[in-house]
Amino acid sequence: MNRDGHTGHDDREPVPLPPGLRRTIARETSLRSRLRDLAVGLAGGCGAAFIALLWATEPDAPPTRTRIAFAALIVVGLAWAAFGTWALTTRRPLYGHDRVVGGWIALAATTTTTVGGAALAAARGGPGAALATGLAGTALIASAAGLLYRARAHRRALLRRRHELREKTG
Amino acid sequence: MDVGSDADADAADADAGSDDELLVIRCQLGEREAFTELVELWHGPLWRYLRGMVESAGAADDLAQETWVGVLRGLPRLRRPERFVPWLFTIGRRTVMNHLRQTYSAREVAAEEAGERADDEGFPDGVLDRMAIRGGLDKLPPKEREVLILFHLEDLPLATCAAVLDVPAGTVKSRLSRARGMLREILIERGEHP
Repeated sequence: MNRDGHTGHDDREPVPLPPGLRRTIARETSLRSRLRDLAVGLAGGCGAAFIALLWATEPDAPPTRTRIAFAALIVVGLAWAAFGTWALTTRRPLYGHDRVVGGWIALAATTTTTVGGAALAAARGGPGAALATGLAGTALIASAAGLLYRARAHRRALLRRRHELREKTG
Repeated sequence: MDVGSDADADAADADAGSDDELLVIRCQLGEREAFTELVELWHGPLWRYLRGMVESAGAADDLAQETWVGVLRGLPRLRRPERFVPWLFTIGRRTVMNHLRQTYSAREVAAEEAGERADDEGFPDGVLDRMAIRGGLDKLPPKEREVLILFHLEDLPLATCAAVLDVPAGTVKSRLSRARGMLREILIERGEHP
């Protein structure tokens, strides 16, 4: 295969990386940016779920202005969740190790939201509301656990292949 | 033909392929230092391909940057890391084709506008000057130019060229044959071919 330092084309000068390209690589592969997008998405989604729970467990029907405020906050939270999802699937996709870290963070966030939500529902709406919240939260926790399981399996497969190739190339 | 040296060359190619795959796997794992290594390794061949397809080194720089952004964003979804090279050149090709499409449509508009004032201003877009300065390759149509660059200048195997260009290997062969013929005519015309 032709390439600098490999067979052929020794007469060719290597093309140095422009400083702008180095900055682009650092920006495009930044772990911090990925974790920020993940945090924004989770905060938006969990926040929207919490506001919806508060609204649902109001003892009396809230006035119109309060309902509008609840709805607006839920929409804002969902918008951030959608932004986080979009950023992590198109702009800054998670690499193998990042997916595992992200999986743990998602599991922690959904567990905290579920426990907090169930406690809030029990205090404001009684055992029935707590049970419904717990069930919905369990579904979210199961999703996060599934993502973490897949991320760990994917990373394991990559690590195995890396080990095989290192053995092969010495 | 020296069978021993052929075998050595094949072994060297296989080692280089494994090195590439290892680097891609490290990138897919998210080892940050591997990204720079991968880009440093393949920026030269990619840049030379792009430079052969566009009018200036600056444009090739911009397109290389755009290509690398696409590569870094797409790497987690690359299912066959051993196919990295054709995948890289396919993204580069898509980027350069988008650029050429925009450039040609802009030139067509400019040429239409210039045609109305041609009596006064000659060749206002300066295309002929640029074409005369550059080598015979520049006179070839994009399809013929890129197959010559990939096969002869970047030494990519026929199968890889076919994967990059998204055509059967037979089509690559026929394009190569046509491109060589056209290049020969251009060079004879210039008096640079014996």
